[in-house]
Amino acid sequence: MRVPGRQDCGRCCSGVRWMGALVLVLGVALFGTATAARGQDLESGKVTYDKYCAQCHGDEGDGQGIATPYLRPEPRDFTSGKYKVRTTPTGLLPTDADISRTIRLGFPYTGMPAFRENVITDGELADLVAYVKSFAPAFAEQEPPEPITIPQPPPYDPEHASTKGREVYESTGCGACHGTLGRGNGASAPTLVDDWNVPVRVADLTKPWTFRGGGTRIDIFRTMSTGFAGTPMPGFHGALPPEDIWAITDYMLWLSGGPQERVEAPYSNVVTARATSEVIDLAAAEDLFADAPPALFPLFGQIVEPGRSFYPAANAIQIQAVYNRDEIAFRLVWHDMRAETAGVNAPDLAVPSWNEQLAEAGASSAEDDPWGAPADDPWGADAAEDPWGDDAVDEEAAADPWGDDVVDEDGGDDFWGEAGDGSDAAGGEFSDAVALQFPQQAPEGVRKPYFIFGDAQNPVDLWFADMAKQEAELWTGRGSLAVVPGESELPEVVSSYEDGAWVVLMKRARTSRSSISFEPESFVPIAFSVWDGFNRERGNKRALSAWWDLYLEPLERPSPLPPMAKAFFGILALEILIVGFVRWRRRRRATGATTESPAAQAA
Amino acid sequence: MNTWVILGAIVALVLMRLRKPSMLTWAAAWWVAMFAIVRYGFTVPVPISVVKLYMGLITAGLVAYVLTDEERIEQVCQPVLAFMTQKRFQLPLLATMLAIPALFAWSIYAGMTRDPQAPAFARTVHPAPPDEITVHDNTVSIGTADNPYRALEETDPEAFGARLANGREVYYANCFYCHGDIMAGEGMYAHALNPIPTSFQDPGTIAMLREAFLFWRIAKGAPGLPEEGGPWASAMPAWESFLTEEEMWNVVLFLYEFTGHRPRAVEEHH
Repeated sequence: MRVPGRQDCGRCCSGVRWMGALVLVLGVALFGTATAARGQDLESGKVTYDKYCAQCHGDEGDGQGIATPYLRPEPRDFTSGKYKVRTTPTGLLPTDADISRTIRLGFPYTGMPAFRENVITDGELADLVAYVKSFAPAFAEQEPPEPITIPQPPPYDPEHASTKGREVYESTGCGACHGTLGRGNGASAPTLVDDWNVPVRVADLTKPWTFRGGGTRIDIFRTMSTGFAGTPMPGFHGALPPEDIWAITDYMLWLSGGPQERVEAPYSNVVTARATSEVIDLAAAEDLFADAPPALFPLFGQIVEPGRSFYPAANAIQIQAVYNRDEIAFRLVWHDMRAETAGVNAPDLAVPSWNEQLAEAGASSAEDDPWGAPADDPWGADAAEDPWGDDAVDEEAAADPWGDDVVDEDGGDDFWGEAGDGSDAAGGEFSDAVALQFPQQAPEGVRKPYFIFGDAQNPVDLWFADMAKQEAELWTGRGSLAVVPGESELPEVVSSYEDGAWVVLMKRARTSRSSISFEPESFVPIAFSVWDGFNRERGNKRALSAWWDLYLEPLERPSPLPPMAKAFFGILALEILIVGFVRWRRRRRATGATTESPAAQAA
Repeated sequence: MNTWVILGAIVALVLMRLRKPSMLTWAAAWWVAMFAIVRYGFTVPVPISVVKLYMGLITAGLVAYVLTDEERIEQVCQPVLAFMTQKRFQLPLLATMLAIPALFAWSIYAGMTRDPQAPAFARTVHPAPPDEITVHDNTVSIGTADNPYRALEETDPEAFGARLANGREVYYANCFYCHGDIMAGEGMYAHALNPIPTSFQDPGTIAMLREAFLFWRIAKGAPGLPEEGGPWASAMPAWESFLTEEEMWNVVLFLYEFTGHRPRAVEEHH
């Protein structure tokens, strides 16, 4: 490594002759890397940048790396000098510590990972920060900014948070984007774009583990104070008194159950179906589900097969389950920016191929890519060569890296769909939808069907609910290419949308001859799909989950008391027998033989 | 190995030996020390069922040790009998007689009210590959094939660099969402997967493997795993449906280049 400080140090140490070479080496090791050179070595910063950052942020720091088309929010353009997470007031540059913090902790639920000390050392980090700053002239032109001070937080009081906090939240207008209950469903949410005119999704304030700037109380206060530069999120430092910022912060935390020691997503890997003796009536099932434990499962984009969904709308779904002797019912809840109850949706709808969309967006061209000859590429534009036979592409003049939706109708530049300019707010072409996925037959061995709509050997059944209809559909998948209407019992469905959340109830007979049966005290693999019609998700373009487990608790949950009592008194009786026998033997021996023995005292 | 637990157990036993304990105390001390070592002495926790098995064996061993000598039997039985019969032990005896069945009852309660645990399936880190696979009508022998472009590293660095660049593009178009920017299995969707994506930084993964093995795992994905080697719920796609052979070999080059690992076969040549 080229560190000028080392030479200086070497000279200084060698001047102290009596300590000799050992001390020289020690001196270099201890102090060489800690000299002022760190944070100034742009060449070292560039090495780190080119290895870890350029893929997304681009070789020139302009946010246009090779991975950029696959990422929303887009990687930040460092030439702008606009940094999302800062301790400095709105409009100012970040401090070095702010940039370091973002590199060290990353932005959850975006393409920005956390680069910890085992990947980028503290010294390399300082050089990297200097290099990243060198992309924006503003850093050389302006004085280093002063960070705001975050005052001592008042104690968290749920009562205050839910009343005063909500009041300030509403009067400040937070709900206009984030929604009254913070679910990211404010009226203007569908229209928001960042400074580069790329649509941005409003934060779901009920999920602090997804917060870009961190989900602790201090983190939220800082974000509320300084805003996110380059996005519509303003900073309220100076505009609101600190107590109001704390009030909003605490209202947000109250929405997710209060501040947590560690901000972690409360994901489950198994959902337990409660047994009930009552009749399951979906129209009046809320009481039935009140006691069923909720389980939250993460969702991610279907990024593999044609219809690749690199930025799905939903990132989690909550499920509860109840069952009785005859039926099993599920309650599904997920947050959605806007309900789409018009249009169509189905798991087999064709979606244009990704490369088609990319090619038309001009983000990639065949000349640039010596190996990626489009004709060989199953995602490619040539429908004849496409093993998935994706014929929808021809009709859609898409320039949208997430889908095909660039607005032929609106003529706008809205990646989100038709509603960007409010001209078509009633909904678009595609409705919201949800599906439960089960293996068609309980797996005999350990192998489960492939999670993306099953595979040829192991079919899956989809309980599909289109929010534009009031009846459910059954689909059978033998892989993405082979999703066809199913033949077994149809589930029933009831759905509703309120305050940014879809609530969907589904039920079916517990046992089935041609599809999976749900037996008490057994585990059944379960997976989920969510389609956001507004994001033009349909067919294989969707948010989906991996396989998780559904467990049916015993139909009659036996009380633990009888077996506990049995064990307790059984063992106690055995002990009394043993002790009694020992004492009886001792006494007999003591009376029979008058010799002195330790046991004699016992009697 | 958890050195402190093991050292602590040994030191405690030695100290106890110096104080010449009674046979019962000595046997009990051995039992406790062995339990501490089996249960807490290993960095990777030993499963409870295995702990139970070992403790059963250790108990049988201690009983056998005591039973082989009349004096030892006497030494063990005497304090037990005294505890059961002497008046001064009456209260402790009563407490013990209640505590033992209460403990059993509690363990039954805990067992019956425990949250259900999702069935766990073992993960085979290096499942046994088939002898050969067919990818895009070409047969690749997993046992003997080398990366056809690896030789360029020395013969034509420029062409090799171009292949690395292509591998990098393939990685960022397809892989990094799960396997991550650092290739430590920390991609932005990793939290949503079960099982979690493989870390290529881990010296136990690609550093132990030949390039043809990686080619097999990439081309055939989870659906191509053999029956006897999981994880059977892996989300890894069979990339042969979407990538050319060249792209898959190129991305293998990039995985080794980025992590600094060397594929096994190449290292053996040196």
